[in-house]
Amino acid sequence: MNFKIILRLLGFLLLVEGIAMALAFIVALIYGGYDQTAFLISSGIAIGLGTTIGFLTRKANKDIGKKEGYIIVSSVWIVFSFFGSLPYIISGAIPNFTNAFFETISGFTTTGSSILADIEALPHGILFWRSITQWLGGMGIIVLSLAILPVFGIGGMQLFMAEVPGPTPDKISPRIRQTAKTLWVIYLGFTVSEMLLLWLGGMSIFDAVCHSFTTMATGGFSTKQASIAHWSSPFIHYVIVIFMFFAGTNFTLSYMAINGKFKHVFKDEEFKYYGLFVLGFTLIIFIGLLVSSQTGVEESFRNSLFQVVSIITTTGYATADYLTWAPILIFIIFGLFFFGGSAGSTGGGMKIMRIVLLLKNSYYELRRMVHPQAIIPVKFNNHSVDAKIITNVLAFFMFYFVIFGASTVIFTIIEPDIESAMGAVATSLGNIGPGLGNVGPAENFLHVKPVGKWFLSFLMLLGRLELFTVLVLFSPSFWKE
Amino acid sequence: MKVVIAGAGEVGTHLARMLSSEEHDIVLMDDSVEKLSIVSNDVDLMTVTGSAHSFHDLKNTGIAKADLFIAVTPFEERNVLACSMASYLGVGRTIARINNSEYLMGRYRSKLNNLGINELIYPESLAAKEIVASVKQTGTRQLIEFSNGKLLLLGVKVRQDAPILNKTFEELAQENEHILVVAINRENETIIPSGTDFIKDGDIVFFITTRDEQKRIFDLTAKKTFEVKNILFLGGSRIAQKAIEKLGDQYRIKVVEESHEKCQQVAEKYANALVINGDCRDLKLLKDEGLEKMDAVVATTGNSETNILGCHLAKSLGVRRTIAEVENLAFMGLAENMNIGSIVNKKLIAASYIYRFTLNAAISKVKCLTASDAEVFEFIAKPGARITQKLVKDLGFPEEAKIGGIIRGDDAFIVHGDSQVKEADKVVVFTLPSGIKKLEKFFK
Repeated sequence: MNFKIILRLLGFLLLVEGIAMALAFIVALIYGGYDQTAFLISSGIAIGLGTTIGFLTRKANKDIGKKEGYIIVSSVWIVFSFFGSLPYIISGAIPNFTNAFFETISGFTTTGSSILADIEALPHGILFWRSITQWLGGMGIIVLSLAILPVFGIGGMQLFMAEVPGPTPDKISPRIRQTAKTLWVIYLGFTVSEMLLLWLGGMSIFDAVCHSFTTMATGGFSTKQASIAHWSSPFIHYVIVIFMFFAGTNFTLSYMAINGKFKHVFKDEEFKYYGLFVLGFTLIIFIGLLVSSQTGVEESFRNSLFQVVSIITTTGYATADYLTWAPILIFIIFGLFFFGGSAGSTGGGMKIMRIVLLLKNSYYELRRMVHPQAIIPVKFNNHSVDAKIITNVLAFFMFYFVIFGASTVIFTIIEPDIESAMGAVATSLGNIGPGLGNVGPAENFLHVKPVGKWFLSFLMLLGRLELFTVLVLFSPSFWKE
Repeated sequence: MKVVIAGAGEVGTHLARMLSSEEHDIVLMDDSVEKLSIVSNDVDLMTVTGSAHSFHDLKNTGIAKADLFIAVTPFEERNVLACSMASYLGVGRTIARINNSEYLMGRYRSKLNNLGINELIYPESLAAKEIVASVKQTGTRQLIEFSNGKLLLLGVKVRQDAPILNKTFEELAQENEHILVVAINRENETIIPSGTDFIKDGDIVFFITTRDEQKRIFDLTAKKTFEVKNILFLGGSRIAQKAIEKLGDQYRIKVVEESHEKCQQVAEKYANALVINGDCRDLKLLKDEGLEKMDAVVATTGNSETNILGCHLAKSLGVRRTIAEVENLAFMGLAENMNIGSIVNKKLIAASYIYRFTLNAAISKVKCLTASDAEVFEFIAKPGARITQKLVKDLGFPEEAKIGGIIRGDDAFIVHGDSQVKEADKVVVFTLPSGIKKLEKFFK
């Protein structure tokens, strides 16, 4: 194991975080507030430490193997969350370390679960920092660093594979660095366009920036206690729905669309199912709402569409409290907790592609029963999918549900309410944000016991790195030389 | 530069790996998903599953915007067709791997060019050439000739009894004006030496010199040259056949080959070779065929292990010249330490040959030093190039590289600090892979 290079890369990544903190410092300066010194200090710590580590490890051997890749990617999210919690603690916005860490990792993993009971009371710098943690975490810390830091030239492949969601990460261009750059440019482009539209729709420029950051990351942190429900403008709601939908789409497809290859986009099987799921579930909930509540037609449609897109892309914004809906609708929403966006998007969850592959494979299994000698490959986008990938997806599915089940049991020991426990575990694992019961959209996670917060933080990390990258560190064979 | 490589075989993957590590954009295509996934796991490139001779699949690689197309699938006709199609689709330049020396003939070249096939590469023939050079030049590990032998590069293993040991290069340069040490291979590491380094026992030293002075190198390293007459080939592979063809009639050649069919083939083609049907690992057979009396043994079975062991055996029985084909790159260092003489690797040779097309500067020759990382280039100094503007010592030449010599018209010189490169000179430069990019700007 080449620990020196692991340390070196973590040092460089810390620099990136320090620079992000410096941005928040500028925002704090512009808007004034008690958080200015906090950002100055934490930015200084991150940049200073990063530079020192970088200097001390300058002679490190540049070999990055698979194992080093997994360790770097898993540990960077923990390191980022640790240092990212400093501004909250130093400024006193969130004085408790456990709470501050929970808030930060919930930010970086784009979960969006919050322990804050009065968001609007916080200074602008802190609110901006909350949003930017999500924005950095959305496209991925490593992917950003690949794009901007030349030090990641070697071994970048290993890191990219370990961080990017989906069973088979695609490359847009031959070089990983170029791919990372293109992804970030698209990401940035979407973010800026959303910002402009929200601003046009009547949001203040600050709220527009923060919300476009957290929408594109499918994060879900808002600058308002009431989340998006704070704004009553349908225009703002629809703009956010559209951009949440984009954020949950594979960025490779967005790249093709930008290059005018719409045929590819509409032919893409995952995109078709993604659209189908969104429309289907919206329709079901829309009808459900019409029947069971008194709200108007347009508002019911908007609420159902917004909630479905928000949950399926794992953003977690709210314009309505789905826990006040009819039980069957709550159950459908809970089902959506497990879907997640497309592969190669910023969304969490299991990913549409995996679900489609699983469904197809299971369906074909029936045909295989009838024709035992038949060779029936699982096809996706008109190509037969390698058996290795199917096995991998099955293992993922198995792990996901075993972890969900076991964690729910563990969590009910900590918090004795089974519904809230299921909600909290599913929402953390899927990087969504709001859960069920006492952690629903109108509630927050402040009342969860410290052990419970650490446990959920771990689940968020597991979910963001799609289980394997973290789980592999716990397998004994990983550590055997 | 954007390069599309068709065929993820040995040559293709090696090229992809090498070019990708030098910041070229590589797209590798093959019809086997497994082969591609093995490469894409650790090399920074894009893979496309598909057939090299399908317009649709070629288009998928973005061939229209590519600068270079290299077809190195195992099938000659497929490579030729693929290059022709790639040209049609708008690629900058094409290279096809062939197995038929007929295509290399001058009178057919223009026909192939018309089809859109710009360059041809025949790895087996290149490897055979290397073997023939090794057989002819005894005493050295490697011999590369520049401009018909006006300058020579000799790789020699230095042993205890050599007078050159423990002298610094400064002293050496003062005593021998026409000899320059350009690279040393020590414990599997290649060093471009500076003035204060010295040669140790067991180093493989690469000298550059003129034709007249090469005797002096053998004196310095206490190597005795001898005439080769009897050659034994272990294995009658395509490389062996090519080498036999190139060696001509003045040698007594024996070939041991396991496959009866191949034996027939070799015996029919080459009347001067005595073909023995048997196992190359059969010691009794080899002894019966006079292994000890051979001047040279060339091991070119398809199996690297057999080749290494065969040469090792021959060496231990007192054969003075042994050449082994080692295709497994991981074995190259090991083989070098086993003391089995020269090593030939057709992948590396082919890759070096193709390599020049990826550089912008005008290059007339590229060779890799076997069993080391270094490459040798013969650049042509273009008018106005940076290299022609200052004395060599003032150029600020990269540390990883060293200028060996200059060929100017019919004369050849060894370069010293005070030498000056002029327009249209051919300049022989040695470099570690990390220095290649930096060299380009000196010759543009």
